[in-house]
Amino acid sequence: MKINLTRQNTYLLGVSLFLLIFVVVFSFSILIPEGKSYRIKKAELKKESLELKQLSDFSIEKEVILQKLQGDNLHAIKAFDTEFNAERFIKQHRSFFSSLSVSKSVELENEDGFSVYEVNTTSEISSPKSFYNFLEAVNKSDWIIAVNLPINFKREGEMISSSFTMRVYNNLKDTNSTKQ
Amino acid sequence: MKYSYIKPRHKTVFTKDIQLLLTFFSVTLFMLFSTYAFLLFRDYRFVEEVADINEQKSELRAGILKMSDEIATIEKQSLLAEKVFTKNSVLRDSIANLFDLVPSRITLSEAKIMEDGLILYGITPNKDVYNFMLQAPLRSIFHRTYSSFYPDKNGWLRFVSTNYIDEEEEIGNEN
Repeated sequence: MKINLTRQNTYLLGVSLFLLIFVVVFSFSILIPEGKSYRIKKAELKKESLELKQLSDFSIEKEVILQKLQGDNLHAIKAFDTEFNAERFIKQHRSFFSSLSVSKSVELENEDGFSVYEVNTTSEISSPKSFYNFLEAVNKSDWIIAVNLPINFKREGEMISSSFTMRVYNNLKDTNSTKQ
Repeated sequence: MKYSYIKPRHKTVFTKDIQLLLTFFSVTLFMLFSTYAFLLFRDYRFVEEVADINEQKSELRAGILKMSDEIATIEKQSLLAEKVFTKNSVLRDSIANLFDLVPSRITLSEAKIMEDGLILYGITPNKDVYNFMLQAPLRSIFHRTYSSFYPDKNGWLRFVSTNYIDEEEEIGNEN
């Protein structure tokens, strides 16, 4: 059987074959690998988005905890940041004593990551109740102050003179920032 | 000189068949290239989005680390503040209890409150009042109690009461 192909049909067949081969080669060598890569990247993006959401939720949880802690411990946080001021201390607590004097503070060794200052205090009180009230007020003062033993009470006429030391706790100063 | 009575047809390569074929392949190629362009664009967007997410993650991690540090600091501050406040309150109660312990018939002239002891100076009408009303409760609190007396002008007795708590004994008892 003899097939007679006209010149036009030959062109038609040639063009068809060329285009068909191009489509197949393009699809298999470029389009399909690119599609696979697209699927992988899409899955990766989904995974990353999920991790981001988890991190974001964790960050929000931490923030809530931090805000609650800050709210609950506002006085302590502020007190640790406040530098001890003898004049202000006397002004705030003079009402509990007939006379009150606070000596210059001496820096002690750091304790539990906080700087500690020791101040000697001498005072006169009319009754021990004033001293109890003072100890109550110290817990609400602008600083974190621990009244230390030994405490000496001595009757002097109608008054009781007392002498004791107090420890003031502060946040450690960042030495790197002060050096600048 | 004419050999034909009809007008010659205009011949072209783009016959109806070729046109149909080209249209078909044009549509196919357009769809292929569009798909490829779409994939390239999405890939580019994915890379950008992943980079953006990674940046956000780094920021969040740094923020979480900072917040964790702040939480640890506040917890430490709160713990120490609580310890100090409790110590002051215990001290207040201890001093109040000490002064409540002294009966009205005995007058204290001086009191030294120490970590491990207490020294009291005062006046008592007689030794019995001191022994029953002050020394007895002091003995129940302290491990060692020493008292010394010397007469005062009005016939009363001045006393010095020295009281100590032995820490070693405390530890021994605990064990």
